Amino acid sequence: MQNKINFYIVEYAINSLLRQKYKTIFISIVFSMLVFLLSSLFFITNSIKYELKQTLEALPDITVQKIKGGRHYDIDVSTIDEILDIHGVSGAVARVWGYYYFENAGVNFSLVGIDEYEEQYKKSFVDVAANLDFTKPSMIVGEGVKIVMDKNYYKDYFNFIKPDGTLKRVDIAATFKAQSELESNDVIVMSKENVREIFDISAQKATDIVVRVANFNEVATVASKIKLLYPDTRVITKDDLKISYQNIFDYKSGIFLALFSVSLFTFFIIIYDRVSGLSSEQKREIGILKAVGWRVDDVLKEKFYEGFIVSIFSYLVGITLSFAFVYIFKAPLLQNIFLGYSQLKTSFNLPFVFDMQTLALIFFLSVPIYIAAIIIPSWRSATLEADEVIR
Amino acid sequence: MLLTPEVLTILILNIIFAIFAVVAFVLSLRIFLKWDANSTSITQYELEKQSYLAATIIKYIFTIKVPLFIFFIFALDKISNVITGAMCAAGVVDATQSGMYLIVLKIINLYLFAYWLRIHTTDISDKNQPYTRYKFGLFLGLFFLLMLELALDFSMFKDIEIDKMVSCCGSIYSSSSTSALSTLFKIDNSLLLMVFYTNYFLIVLLFFLKKRYLFSALNALFIPLSLVSLILFFGTYIYELPSHHCPFCFLQSDYYYVGYFLYFFLFMGTFYGLVVSFVKDSDSSYKISLLFNSLYVILLTLYILNYYIKNGVFL
Repeated sequence: MQNKINFYIVEYAINSLLRQKYKTIFISIVFSMLVFLLSSLFFITNSIKYELKQTLEALPDITVQKIKGGRHYDIDVSTIDEILDIHGVSGAVARVWGYYYFENAGVNFSLVGIDEYEEQYKKSFVDVAANLDFTKPSMIVGEGVKIVMDKNYYKDYFNFIKPDGTLKRVDIAATFKAQSELESNDVIVMSKENVREIFDISAQKATDIVVRVANFNEVATVASKIKLLYPDTRVITKDDLKISYQNIFDYKSGIFLALFSVSLFTFFIIIYDRVSGLSSEQKREIGILKAVGWRVDDVLKEKFYEGFIVSIFSYLVGITLSFAFVYIFKAPLLQNIFLGYSQLKTSFNLPFVFDMQTLALIFFLSVPIYIAAIIIPSWRSATLEADEVIR
Repeated sequence: MLLTPEVLTILILNIIFAIFAVVAFVLSLRIFLKWDANSTSITQYELEKQSYLAATIIKYIFTIKVPLFIFFIFALDKISNVITGAMCAAGVVDATQSGMYLIVLKIINLYLFAYWLRIHTTDISDKNQPYTRYKFGLFLGLFFLLMLELALDFSMFKDIEIDKMVSCCGSIYSSSSTSALSTLFKIDNSLLLMVFYTNYFLIVLLFFLKKRYLFSALNALFIPLSLVSLILFFGTYIYELPSHHCPFCFLQSDYYYVGYFLYFFLFMGTFYGLVVSFVKDSDSSYKISLLFNSLYVILLTLYILNYYIKNGVFL
């Protein structure tokens, strides 16, 4: 290989950078900020995606909803028996749940009903079912719910307003914390009868039906069979959800990136401008270098080494800063982009996810663009006439 | 149109490539037409200066393209999560009409650009710069291939429809498929392996005999042979599954990214094998070629041995 790195030129490049202190510092700061912003965004997305994936793993394989007039409607509990007859189905549970709007705080609680002896469709509910007292109206609430209720002076119980206007008093038994905060923060778990009473759902109806399939590969077939049996239902598999989540996040970060490309362009221009503005001192320097025998190629090489050093350095600084920002300081401000505007925000902690691909992505969006910006200015200065500039 | 960050990144870089490639093209054209190493005119002096810029731009494009190619495959693997039916990059490539051509074109371009670079280094290390006209003439052709590649990149990402069902690699690379590939599966494995290993040993033999053109020809033959044998035979040992023939799946983490190594070895080995015909004083090229070709063959053979030792039978 002919392209060996010439360490003397590297040393010269470093010294040259140190000599133009302010220029170097300016470029590094701008560059680092850019990398920092970009990588913070991707780190946050990655973490949220990771959390969602965990949530999804806990979700049932198939969810069956009844659709009437294009809208979600209560489904007959008796549907379960026929679904259970399909080969490959290892379990089906009718879920009773809904959103309860608590006007005082302006938040939505997710009310989930469970039965004491039925098989729980979510692992995190197994513990809850064991601890919940089914003999009297009591509930177990997520941490976020607990805080909201405390603020409104509901320390030990909460009054739900039923559709007919009467009150239903339910005691707060305990708070629970699931693996992922995304799924537990706004959740209230209580017995199915209580949820039915609060939402006025009759005993023959349920919100939807979740189906478990023993063999993962059969999910698609089972789903199509259910769809054939009940044409008026919407059958959602876990994979559908996964895909739509990935699409949402790819879309969100894609839009951001599209907007961001404007600042990349600006960055390009700034660098181009900064690098091409040579002081008479620098011109003389190049003249002297050429006079003592440097070839155009050597000067070019030196310029590119400078570029590489600055860009790799700023890249690393930017990445490190954003690691700290996202995973140590929990990305204040920036994470709001992804959270939506619900009052009872899911205050999740961002789990640490190390993804080589993201680092590569940020690398490709920063270093090559910087190098591209310095190609022409470097060439210009490298081909300066020695006699003209020294004179 | 797929708006994932990966795709956008590739497209943004492609735009930069396109702009710079046009600049390099214009310069190359002028150099190609007016270059006269013996002249002392001002134009010639200007051209010499400009040749540096053109060369730098081409070098830049190639240097970024190599890692970007890997990133491209990576991105395809990731997109495969979203597309119905696709389980690895093969499905995404198959999702559009231009996908397969694009991959082939990308690989050809990598070889050509690498060749250009090799010529370039020989050229500038010589005082007389004997290849200057030739290399810029070469770039005039390369430019169109590059532009075609960039255009195909764009059209492929534009055409991918998320909702459309595509084939999984398991069905694309199988003997039952109706595609052109199914005819490949009629080839007898033992015959194929015999040819593959014979080819390799001939390469080793010619390494000692130093017959330039034969060595290159065998290396050229080694590329398709390796790919076919990889799909038909060696792949199944990597997956330890007799029915799985996909040349993309082993790029994924499940197989420790071994595909990247395999393709890298194959590329380096055959590229330097081809180079010996085109560039004089290529002793080091012989060595590099043999080294990487051997690594490729050894790695694949180890997979088979490993399987045999573990299970006591062949697939």
